[in-house]
Amino acid sequence: MNDMTHANKPSTLAKWSRRGVIGAGVLAGGGLLIGVAVRPGNPIGALAPKVAGGEGEQLINSWVKIGLDNVVTAIVPHCEMGQGAHSVLAQMLADELDADWSKVEVMQAPTDGSYVVTDTARMFVAPFTLHAADWIEPTWNGLFTQVAKLADALITGGSSSIRTTGQGQMRVAGAAARGMLVGAAADEWGVPASEIETRDSTLIHKASGKSATYAEFATAAAEQPMDQTPTLKDPSQYRLIGKSKARTDIPGKVNGTALFGIDAAPEGVALSYAATVRSPVPGTRVASMDASRAKDMKGVLQILNMGDFVAVVADSYWQAQQALNKVNVTWTEGASAIRTTQDQFDVYAKALDDAGETGGDMAASKGDAPAALASAATVIEAEYKAPYLAHAPMEPINCTASVKDGKCDVWTSTQVPLRVRTELNAALGIDKSNITVHHPYLGGSFGRRLEAVYAVMTARIAQATGYPVKSIWSREEDTQKALYRPAELSRFKAGLDESGALVVYDNVFTQRDDPKEASVPGIYAIPNTSVRVAEAERYLPFAAWRSVDHSQHGWFIESFIDEAAHAAGKDPYEFRLAMLKDAPRHTAVLKKVAEISNWSAPSPEGTAKGIAIVESFGSIVAQVHEVDMSSGKPKMLNAWAVCDAGFVVNPDGFKNQIEGGIVFGLTAAMYGELDLVDGAIKQSNFHDYKMLRMDETPAITVEIINSGTVPIGGAGEPGLPPAAPALTNAIFAATGKRLRELPIAKQFA
Amino acid sequence: MRNNAILAASLLTAALAACGSTEPEPVVEQIIIREPGAPVVAAEPEAVEDSGEVDLVALGEEAFQVCAGCHNADPGGPNMAGPNLNGVFGRKAGTAMDYPYSEALASSDIIWGYASLDRFLANPAGYVEGTSMVAGAVRNGDDRAAIVAYLASTGE
Repeated sequence: MNDMTHANKPSTLAKWSRRGVIGAGVLAGGGLLIGVAVRPGNPIGALAPKVAGGEGEQLINSWVKIGLDNVVTAIVPHCEMGQGAHSVLAQMLADELDADWSKVEVMQAPTDGSYVVTDTARMFVAPFTLHAADWIEPTWNGLFTQVAKLADALITGGSSSIRTTGQGQMRVAGAAARGMLVGAAADEWGVPASEIETRDSTLIHKASGKSATYAEFATAAAEQPMDQTPTLKDPSQYRLIGKSKARTDIPGKVNGTALFGIDAAPEGVALSYAATVRSPVPGTRVASMDASRAKDMKGVLQILNMGDFVAVVADSYWQAQQALNKVNVTWTEGASAIRTTQDQFDVYAKALDDAGETGGDMAASKGDAPAALASAATVIEAEYKAPYLAHAPMEPINCTASVKDGKCDVWTSTQVPLRVRTELNAALGIDKSNITVHHPYLGGSFGRRLEAVYAVMTARIAQATGYPVKSIWSREEDTQKALYRPAELSRFKAGLDESGALVVYDNVFTQRDDPKEASVPGIYAIPNTSVRVAEAERYLPFAAWRSVDHSQHGWFIESFIDEAAHAAGKDPYEFRLAMLKDAPRHTAVLKKVAEISNWSAPSPEGTAKGIAIVESFGSIVAQVHEVDMSSGKPKMLNAWAVCDAGFVVNPDGFKNQIEGGIVFGLTAAMYGELDLVDGAIKQSNFHDYKMLRMDETPAITVEIINSGTVPIGGAGEPGLPPAAPALTNAIFAATGKRLRELPIAKQFA
Repeated sequence: MRNNAILAASLLTAALAACGSTEPEPVVEQIIIREPGAPVVAAEPEAVEDSGEVDLVALGEEAFQVCAGCHNADPGGPNMAGPNLNGVFGRKAGTAMDYPYSEALASSDIIWGYASLDRFLANPAGYVEGTSMVAGAVRNGDDRAAIVAYLASTGE
């Protein structure tokens, strides 16, 4: 708690710039441990053995180390869950460092408060400060370091790794490290630093003919002063940034050597295995446990009633799960009146009824919506419904824990290792300094692994049994006992004038999480806008789910805008274009997608195209989807996407993310739905919570526009929001059937 | 600056609230059967006269473990990836409560019995084309016979 006093005092930081974050720790008097140079007595010294354990390895600064074999290792604070952040962050650092890409490796930063991802925390807590006026910066930076530490913001999410850590820290670290290497060589060779060139991890002084590898000067470089605000490259100087360099994590994932959380096999540790069951009704607890039928089953070691869950520990996972299936558990009664899906939507509907024409909290307001609705030539209304969704990542939820001699080690797939540490501290009563969170690759996440409960459960089992345990959740447990993308009900009104122009837009709904602007049709010039939130109880606990609020609202808004276009008798593309006349980037993206999809060409009988555009996480993405309805059921043919993320660091990786976002979004749109029955989730496994199959997936084309806009946008999520509306708009164009609820498949069963 | 300070304070409060401390929760009941690595102490089998007969149902319950990843056969047990199989004998295919059967199985006229279960388990998709049971065929005829006998013993 003493940590916070620092932030409440007037800041003593010198004028701060975003690049200066690398040295801010020194200025802050030790309160900040990000990216500081390795010097005797410097706080980073404590980190050195964790990341530079090998003999002959030299830590240049906390984001990069250089070995005597001239291998540059980028130390990356974000997790790798398939999105490619490890490799692309290394690419950004290596470019500024002028490193030889064939000799660049990536290392996961140890879970230590020193690696708090400050810029990412800022983006989550108060994104407007990222580009605040200079005079605010010292305050914000000092503050955010503290907030990030308190909130345990070593986080990977929000499509933020490249645009925050990459831009603000990895590149700066690379440039600063390069400066220190050049400085060391200049001293040794007695030449001006400005005459030394760098390329492929080599220092070259042409005039004297001298050259040396980075490794030769790595040790000396650590004694060089570090430039607090190194000059970053101009895009014309990039050697790696902007190129589709092969990802460093792919070979291991192809040949099977890559290790995921579930592969944890700590050396010298004999593991037992746990299977666990939690209450089907959120918030309830174990009322009784009858283990008589499980006790004699093969391999069973212990059966535990942990109060909030039941666990069986056995010699193997399979034995534990089979014995657990034989344990008869009863649960306490749930407190909520919501028991079914219908109950949930009734609660939402009542809140919207109560809010009426103008009630609720105003999320965005422009002009005079009620008056404009009263005087509009045409008014249309619609109500949209979105279901609860699960993340269903491929790698089962798992954790391996050892609690011994007052120390706790866990190995787990997580997006939030520091949060895991904090919650372990609370649950076990073990000091944070004695808790180590090892976090290997994640086998998919999509927001699922932003919670710490499975690590805490496993560590509690390890503590109770007294021996190391690996716990694996069954697919049924993960589908039914997790955190969820909220269901939502959203009502719209729009007014058109005599010319068919959209002059007023009114929307009221019940849930507002993140990003706050997701529910606002802010890209369009609409003179009168009213966006209102009428809060209502949601039954299932909340989780961020790939693209978060954009996942519902992107579909709602772009469907309703499409309805307005048809009501106006206008082409949905032209209708949108007319409302984007003051938005040149959006206009360019929309025009390009119309061009590559051959939008204006007539479609063959039974097929049609739909269009949608959503800006999310700093990137503008427009999509056209083409569907064949001739069989009476939707068959997706093509999806075209055009994206403006400002500047794309790794085009192949970016396109992969957009493709993944489209497939994830289409999966949810076609099949995704969780039903509540008696307070519990009905769906349980992939047979009733379906994934899109290869043969159902459209052919996808992704094009990138590098508009040069800064700050750059994200990649992991922005591909998703336009996918569902582009598809349902295409289905409308083909059939005249407007889909106002999801999933699609059951409406064509 | 003043506004910033106020906002700053509220952010910090939020951050602190997020890491509120809770007391470690005690274990309610802990049943220790043996230590890891300790040999399994098999319960002394009651002396029974070896009649030379094979208990096919017991063998079947053992063999059913290969099915248990997707099916529960306990009375009132849940539907998992596959439906609960308690009392499946004599039941019309595709009629267990609250299970989303494939259209193929739901529209079939099969009444589950020794012969139909044996054929189905030998090759599910071969017997009912379009079944969602895409895995779990039991190739070994003896195992199949035992599993069918076990299933026949469940239910009313």
